[in-house]
Amino acid sequence: MNPEKALPSYLDQSDAVRERFERLKERPKILEVKGLDKVFETPKGETVALKDIHFDTHRREFLCVVGPSGCGKSTLIRILAGLDAQTGGEVLLEGKPVRGPGKDRGMVFQGYTLFPWLSVKRNVMFGLTVNGMGFQEAERQALQWLALIGLEKFADAYPHQLSGGMKQRVAIARALANQPRILLMDEPFGALDAQTRARMQAHLLEIWRKIDITIVFITHDLDEAIYLADRVLVLKAHPGEVQELIEVPVPHPRKMEQFISDEFLATKARLEELIYAHEEKEEGESEEEYDYPDMPRLVEVDDSVD
Amino acid sequence: MALGLAMSAIMLAAPARAEAPLKIGYSDWPGWVAWQVAIDKGWLKEAGVAADFQWFDYVASMDAFAAGKLDAVSVTNGDALVMGGSGTKSIMILVNDYSNGNDMIIAKPGIKSLAELKGKKIGVEMGFVDHLLLLNGLEKADMTESDVELVNVATNNTPQVLASGDVDAVGAWQPSSGQAMKLVPGARPIYTSADEPGLIYDTLTVTPTSLANRRDEYVKLIKVWDKVVKYINDPETQPDALKIMSARVGLTPAQYKPLLNGTKLLTLEESSKFLEKGDGFSSLYGSSQISDDFNVKYKVYADPQDVDSYIDPSLEADALK
Amino acid sequence: MSRTNWFSVQTELSSQAKTVLGVFSFILPILVWSIVSYVPVVWHPLVQITDPGSVSYLQVDMRMPRGPFEDAVAEAQAEGQAPPEGFPANPVYLPAPHEVAEALYTAFVTPPPSKDMPWLHQSLWHSIQVIFWGFFLSSAIGVPLGVLCGAYAPISRLTEPFVEFFRYLPAPAFGALAVAILGIYDGPKIAIIFIGTFFQQVLIIANTTRKLDGALAEAALTLGAGNLQLLTRVVVPGVLPDLYRDLRILLGWAWTYLIVAELIGTTSGITWFITQQARYQHFENVYAAIIIIGIIGLGTDLVLGMLARRFFPWDRNGK
Ligand SMILES: Nc1ncnc2c1ncn2[C@@H]1O[C@H](COP(=O)(O)OP(=O)(O)O)[C@@H](O)[C@H]1O
Ligand SMILES: [Mg+2]
Repeated sequence: MNPEKALPSYLDQSDAVRERFERLKERPKILEVKGLDKVFETPKGETVALKDIHFDTHRREFLCVVGPSGCGKSTLIRILAGLDAQTGGEVLLEGKPVRGPGKDRGMVFQGYTLFPWLSVKRNVMFGLTVNGMGFQEAERQALQWLALIGLEKFADAYPHQLSGGMKQRVAIARALANQPRILLMDEPFGALDAQTRARMQAHLLEIWRKIDITIVFITHDLDEAIYLADRVLVLKAHPGEVQELIEVPVPHPRKMEQFISDEFLATKARLEELIYAHEEKEEGESEEEYDYPDMPRLVEVDDSVD
Repeated sequence: MALGLAMSAIMLAAPARAEAPLKIGYSDWPGWVAWQVAIDKGWLKEAGVAADFQWFDYVASMDAFAAGKLDAVSVTNGDALVMGGSGTKSIMILVNDYSNGNDMIIAKPGIKSLAELKGKKIGVEMGFVDHLLLLNGLEKADMTESDVELVNVATNNTPQVLASGDVDAVGAWQPSSGQAMKLVPGARPIYTSADEPGLIYDTLTVTPTSLANRRDEYVKLIKVWDKVVKYINDPETQPDALKIMSARVGLTPAQYKPLLNGTKLLTLEESSKFLEKGDGFSSLYGSSQISDDFNVKYKVYADPQDVDSYIDPSLEADALK
Repeated sequence: MSRTNWFSVQTELSSQAKTVLGVFSFILPILVWSIVSYVPVVWHPLVQITDPGSVSYLQVDMRMPRGPFEDAVAEAQAEGQAPPEGFPANPVYLPAPHEVAEALYTAFVTPPPSKDMPWLHQSLWHSIQVIFWGFFLSSAIGVPLGVLCGAYAPISRLTEPFVEFFRYLPAPAFGALAVAILGIYDGPKIAIIFIGTFFQQVLIIANTTRKLDGALAEAALTLGAGNLQLLTRVVVPGVLPDLYRDLRILLGWAWTYLIVAELIGTTSGITWFITQQARYQHFENVYAAIIIIGIIGLGTDLVLGMLARRFFPWDRNGK
């Protein structure tokens, strides 16, 4: 990083990028979220997890959602998936309101949710067969998906024989096999080590490029969000509200080298501003609530780490 | 659960019907193990009796009889009344034997008479025959139940209980009584059924229905009994009989022989004498009346039973003809 | 770092170490038993009489406590009469290992004393059948019911409170009722095994089912699985290895009901052998029979464990 050099505004877009966004916005809206509220009733009272969330996603868009921990990212995506019900507002998928889970929305969770008793191939076939496809056709398609993610050699392995990255690739293939309109991903690479995570990101972009899929991707890793997304939805916590929907000015196709480009850094600076400003404020508040107790030194030390 | 019970019911035999063999429960008492001779020798078939003898734990055999699953059961006269007292009417048609020493009150070494048990602990299965034997003995020693402390012990466990030293005496019948003496050297019987022959009669007791329907078969069965007793008592054939009887309970003939001595097996001729009406222990009527009094007094059941209706001497009489 | 530390918490052992320790888990108790049986200074509270001498109430082979025996010896000597003789012995309840081993062998090779009595292996087979039917009937109802309770809260609330109550009732107490309904043969015995197993089974299976990772069900829902598919294609296969493990443990419990069950109605099976031998104080035979039951139980479990590895290759908790 070069602190001396002034960064351009994250709002500045090159012509190519601007044209790309124009094209993107001309595409039909796949997902419309209108005035979404979610209030949890807990024994300690009500928690407002989401408040009046609005945003749209266009076909083949890659949308990332970022925000501080506890701001309602998971809650939002679970409502989109139909796993939880909102307390207000509505979610429209291609104009139709979402009620309950369905095969038109695929989901990849942070934890590994492959079925341990099914081989990799059978895991990918699961969605196809529960939706009534014959065994042979399902198998043929599953093998194609495994080829796409480069795991056809592991078709007959069980999930416990795979590494974490491989498991998430299979989970992606399993979700995509159903040919959903939209793929929902809740911090899918959160548990992976840095190297694997970088490879998975590149891999995901590759898949996204190849097939007709819209992705809503949750992360708390800002680099990841900028690297992957067309637009980044920034939420703030308590209550979870939209702060800004940022159009990422980094041109396509994305490459790792862009991590140090000006557009990238400018966007990241903006995101940090949005998120950490709030976090600091919240921490400031909480410091009043709990005083750190004086930490006793349990072990004698004769030098300071500072 | 209902389904489970129903399914198991299907897999199993239906209750006895008139054509089915007589279902008779017997258990580990020399006077009843004797039936094994008839079973193994094929005498039942020979005599044209279709009888299916089933081996039980004594208490389980009474449960099965009370549940209506048996036509006949081998019980003491006292226990026949006890079953009747709780609603299972039955009729004694044969006296197999009377206990002639096999039922005992056994005291630990040093105690030589019932009188010395005053204030001491005695292990006995309450409400069963040896409880009666004990009370009978205490009465002769001018004591009552309140002069001793009774501990309720399953008869099968009396040997271990005496050996533990926690009681000073136990009441038990063979084989438990013998085992108790073997286990506690120096322990000796201080009062036995031989001191009061006729206190405990062992009988074949049948349901009124099966008696009404199948009286002829029972008469034939009683005739077989006579043959059994004679076979066991004859010194020529006794070894063979002992072999059969000991096998039934898993002993060697030599181990079994002493058990026979405490049981007075009755031929029909002898047996029928005890079926004459009379007071006191020399008649099944008198003995049962005493049991009935005991049972009412100790609240084994509430109302006195009509003892006469529990005894049908006519079958033995017919068998003797 | 080649030395393994056996006492670090939850450390996997090598399969060799497992085998060795497994063998020792048997050798150690047998060793204790042998010491107590063969070393005269250890325990041996009784004296087994070899010669009663002048003492009238003693017989050969009778066992008596040491104290009274020594008194009897002293008394006889004081009176100038032949003292009794004997050697230290344990109570009959604790036969020595070789006696039990001998009994184990003879029990199988000795033909039944009369032709309509069963061989020992026939008695055993009878007992195994009683266990099998009791356990089978219990599982046929208990497993599906338990899974439904675990999967659906309303079914759980409608079932489990009563089951929870009933499981405390002692199964053998239903013996007389079972005889009244099911007759004197195997019916009531099977019923007792059933009652003893079923209620525990429903609760255990329900709990196991509830432990299934909810995320798997959610993943299935997002893949378009319906309610019934969720049950048949996620819940059931997902809990199957644990369910199988539960059943193995429950089968062991079923065995513990065998002795009381077989005393109900006609006395049959291995229980006839055990109770009859115990009544006549032949404890070497009793222990032989108990050991046979143990071997059958352990053997069944080992086989089931091996099958588990076949059935559930993906299950990493399986042993
Ligand atoms: N099932 C629930 N019951 C009650 N409160 C919940 C529940 N799930 C989430 N919350 C609350 O809602 C807020 C948002 O949670 P979540 O969506 O998990 O945040 P994120 O994924 O952004 O970290 C948090 O304050 C959390 O405590
Ligand atoms: Mg989250």
